[in-house]
Amino acid sequence: MLRQARRLLAVGCALALSGVAVAAAPARSAVHPDLSGFWILSMQPPTLAKTLTTKLPANTVVVDDTGPAELPIGDYGGLKVKAAALAEARKWKPQDEMTISRTCSPPSIVYAIQGPFPFEIYQTPELIVFKYEYFDQVRLIFMDGRGHPPADAPHSKTGHSIGRWDGDELVVDTTHLEPSTITNNGLNHSAGIHVVERYKRSADGKTLAATQWFEDPAVLDNNGARLIEWSSKPGSYVYPYDCDPSFALQYQAAPDAK
Amino acid sequence: MTKVKILAMLGVALLGQSAALAHHSFAAFFDPAKIVKVTGKVTEFGFKNPHGVIVLEVPGPGGQVQKWQAETNAPVVLQRRGWTRESIKPGETITIEGWASRDGKPYLRLRQAFHADGQPVGKLAFGQGDQ
Repeated sequence: MLRQARRLLAVGCALALSGVAVAAAPARSAVHPDLSGFWILSMQPPTLAKTLTTKLPANTVVVDDTGPAELPIGDYGGLKVKAAALAEARKWKPQDEMTISRTCSPPSIVYAIQGPFPFEIYQTPELIVFKYEYFDQVRLIFMDGRGHPPADAPHSKTGHSIGRWDGDELVVDTTHLEPSTITNNGLNHSAGIHVVERYKRSADGKTLAATQWFEDPAVLDNNGARLIEWSSKPGSYVYPYDCDPSFALQYQAAPDAK
Repeated sequence: MTKVKILAMLGVALLGQSAALAHHSFAAFFDPAKIVKVTGKVTEFGFKNPHGVIVLEVPGPGGQVQKWQAETNAPVVLQRRGWTRESIKPGETITIEGWASRDGKPYLRLRQAFHADGQPVGKLAFGQGDQ
């Protein structure tokens, strides 16, 4: 118990010092792959992540909007959207996002993790921490065998995540996600979405690949997935995001078209 | 229109270039095939996430001044490309180039900015893959 407490304390200390150097990460397991470090989105087509697609469940479409790519309005990347959710999605207007109450509201990890912002991983046997630059989001991946909390427990944009090792791959299961965008163009997931991510580090250590799979029967008739790869950049660290909602006021004050 | 150039560059000119995503949809707000280039005097430069903001006064024909506004990538991205909150100063004349707003407003998403002497602000244009 004392040993576990010390390890958790080590993670906390590392997070506190992360603005100085990622090298301050705590001691890691010698048994499992070491995923810790600073990771920045790769702009190359995924290769290692493609090898993980064989482990995706049936009836899954890979949504091709990872990184800078974006789906236009009305295009949901092959996701089969139920009628009610589709009707809601079609009501969406881009300007809806440009309000002081919305502009600093982060997307859930369903959309957020594939964007062109870096993150750090801190790893211990019992707990893995993902610290994202985008909106300063932090995820705790519990590796101690616990389950998810009751269904009516509070939801959030980062949800509740539990992890396990499948050989040299980290499998992360996430529930309790607050409704948020799936494709950044009006399609939202429900509070019942279930996300499973599978992470694998390349043999040379330079690449971290992942599949992000999700099911949301209240919204989708099929399942979705993304392929994501990041590159290692030792010595770098995420910057504070500190979102300022006054950007929305500046947008609203922009001159009108003539 | 002497200092406002609307450059409608299609397809090939933008191959390999893409605007880094921020919190709101680039595709919904901006035309990826229409580049706007404007020169004017800076009245405001904001350097806060989710986007930096540059406001210019652009002289038009007949002497009237038109206000133009640009949003930049998130300053966390700008910082990795050599920008600081002092990179652009109110009162200086700069040229900004970027993707035009779909709604026709004098508003753009910044691809690159240049000081009056032609030197680029920061190390690289945006949308070239490095973040």
